[in-house]
Amino acid sequence: MVASLRRNRALWITAAIVLLVLFWMTRRYEPKVTASILLSGLTLGSLYFLMGSGLSLIFGLMDVLNLAHGALFMIGAYVGFTTYANPRLILNMLPLALALLGGAMIGRWLGGFLPPTLKRGWANRALLAALLLLSLALAVIGLRAFDLAPLAAATATATGGAVATELAQEASGVYLPRIALLAGAGVLLGVALTRLGKAEARRRARAQTAIVGLLVLGVAFAIVPLRSPVEVFLLGLSTNARFLLALLIGVLAGAGLGGLIEVSLIRPLYGRPLYQILLTLGLGFALTEMVKSVWGTPGYYMDIPAFFASSGDNCPSPNLLAWFSDHCQSISVLGRPFPSYRLFIIALGVVMFVAILLLLQRTRLGIIIRAGVQDSEMVQALGINVRQIFTLVFAIGTGLAAAGGVAAAPFLGVNLGLGAELQLQALISVVIGGMGSYIGAAVGALLVGFARAFGDQLVLAGIHLPWAEDVVRMSPSIARASTVLIMALVLLIRPSSSRCSPASRSMRARPSSGREWSSRCSSWRCTP
Amino acid sequence: MPNILEVDGIHTFIGQFHILEGVSLAVPQGSITALLGRNGAGKTTTLRSIMGLNPPREGAIRYAGEPIQGKTAFQIAAKGIGYVPEYRAIFRALTVEENLKIAERQKGDLAKRSDLIFELFPDLKRFYRLPGGQLSGGQQQMLAIARALVPDNRLLLVDEPSEGLAPIIIEAIVAALRQLASHATVLLVEQNFRMASMLADRYYILDDGQSVHSGQMADLVNDRPLITKYLGAGYAGTPVTPTPERSN
Ligand SMILES: Nc1ncnc2c1ncn2[C@@H]1O[C@H](COP(=O)(O)OP(=O)(O)OP(=O)(O)O)[C@@H](O)[C@H]1O
Ligand SMILES: [Mg+2]
Repeated sequence: MVASLRRNRALWITAAIVLLVLFWMTRRYEPKVTASILLSGLTLGSLYFLMGSGLSLIFGLMDVLNLAHGALFMIGAYVGFTTYANPRLILNMLPLALALLGGAMIGRWLGGFLPPTLKRGWANRALLAALLLLSLALAVIGLRAFDLAPLAAATATATGGAVATELAQEASGVYLPRIALLAGAGVLLGVALTRLGKAEARRRARAQTAIVGLLVLGVAFAIVPLRSPVEVFLLGLSTNARFLLALLIGVLAGAGLGGLIEVSLIRPLYGRPLYQILLTLGLGFALTEMVKSVWGTPGYYMDIPAFFASSGDNCPSPNLLAWFSDHCQSISVLGRPFPSYRLFIIALGVVMFVAILLLLQRTRLGIIIRAGVQDSEMVQALGINVRQIFTLVFAIGTGLAAAGGVAAAPFLGVNLGLGAELQLQALISVVIGGMGSYIGAAVGALLVGFARAFGDQLVLAGIHLPWAEDVVRMSPSIARASTVLIMALVLLIRPSSSRCSPASRSMRARPSSGREWSSRCSSWRCTP
Repeated sequence: MPNILEVDGIHTFIGQFHILEGVSLAVPQGSITALLGRNGAGKTTTLRSIMGLNPPREGAIRYAGEPIQGKTAFQIAAKGIGYVPEYRAIFRALTVEENLKIAERQKGDLAKRSDLIFELFPDLKRFYRLPGGQLSGGQQQMLAIARALVPDNRLLLVDEPSEGLAPIIIEAIVAALRQLASHATVLLVEQNFRMASMLADRYYILDDGQSVHSGQMADLVNDRPLITKYLGAGYAGTPVTPTPERSN
């Protein structure tokens, strides 16, 4: 890891440019302006890192460029925000989602009992199509006229405050059948998924799966009567506690959804990179549409939790130490106020960076991941179930993105464009840092964050050209373009691409297609 | 001696290429069996088929009497089969220690085997905390073999351990493999015929994806026509009398 950093010329060149700019900045701007640009850069960099580290880990280990990563970031923001502002919306959706999941687990187990004569040929395809159609039909019936819009609208008006509990409540006579129908849809989907898999997946799923599925179903039904008391309890909590809970639920939602996506959609496509890219790209759109159908098109503002939101006579806090006792909305940095919540974003990024670094360096899982980045097939040949590790890493990566989403919600707002914008910046930062390198992802994210913050400043203040009287003003899109420019520069000066020595070709664990490594040595992968 | 491994007429495809067209072999427990053949004969593919990395489409593979074809690679490995691939596929970013640790199947495997490993390969002890990528080719090969020794493997599939190594290092590896044979059965793919003849008790010859010949190594070394026919003229030049045990 360190060695790859040492070899990564692109990273150093970018770093040199940044240092030059920094030097220029200190001469040009007052220190307080420089400091606030740097802090803004750190904030953005932290978010880019939370996105990019997952992208990079997933790409490094399994060669999947997950273009749905931004959508999961956005889902983290939405789920976190909703947990924070209007838990009823989550509580209404949760049983339905759990029913689908539990049903699918039971279905996978049931699928193992289907007669083996159906294993191939048109009969199997017809069965598969019928199952999927039926499953879809049940889900559609189950969700018919299931209206969350009033709840979502309630969030829009009463941000952070208590929401009328009885809003959009359905009678159990309507709600319980919905759950049952979705469980049925899940069962059919599970059976279909069993047929879809390769021989190995078609093997009888263990009875444990079905038992866990039953438990999940039970939980789904058990939540129904608990929704009201839980909501009252949650809204009675302090905003700080609710924010932490939002972070937790957001991460769980992101990681769970990510794991599910890997198992059900990406796994069948290992070894077919083009299909995977198309799949994740499409998935990003689909997830965005799903979010739109629940939360609608308008964006939301999430209140900053009280811990970062006091405003008294003594605000802004004169320094960090004072802030710890007065929790002011902003802290004075060299005389310029800086929103204190952004320090939380920075801290979250740092904590996650260290946590994942420790995981990678100090644990057996980390050793396996680092080995798998080079050669997952050999890891498999040592008796390690690499597929499980893939799922886990995918879930960790999407969970990190979702954490970023929750953290970004009070800062950037919650809206449908949130994921796409951050995904682009994170992709750029990962390309700069070297695809698949974890530390590279962190450094790249910082560089892009600084570039972006600096670009914003240029747009804000304009540029004084020595020969011109007036300040030259630029359009805000320049700020966004600045990071793309850096990437273009990096790609241009990056040393020639393919360093695929025979020993570095990593052969993917892929049951039948074997060792077609030539197509896999894409130029950007082998460089770092 | 019972056979620890039996391969029965396997057919393996890579993409749409039919690579193995009926390979059969039997490896008696406790032996070193050599798998010989020209470049491209299908030796590596045979080992990969056994490991489940290129699962055969037809035929049967039995390990200790139990069919293993169709199982995934990690399940096959977990049954006690170690794989030392071509080009010493060690993990370059991992230290020597981590390279060995990752092969543990149970906690403490490495601790149990480290004495044996360090005795066979003292270099690995010296460079214990160095990244695998910084080792020399020979040391990397030693690491790859040592890695297969960490868990309690009963069968080792070793693919061309001498490839690209200096004679003196080959000697060390021969000595190690010989010691190894007292712990596990070895199926050895080797282009260096002299080395193969020094180590192996039995041999199989692959040609064009088929197993065409087998027998006792002692008979093969004196059968120049057979060697020339299947292994190429190049082999005829190598001294074919097995050297006596290396005297230290
Ligand atoms: N990915 C691949 N795609 C197509 N053909 C392949 C692929 N890998 C190997 N082959 C072919 O399969 C045949 C057997 O290859 P294999 O690597 O098993 O030979 P080998 O006996 O190990 O040779 P060597 O002594 O050179 O290592 C060769 O003809 C090779 O060209
Ligand atoms: Mg070979």
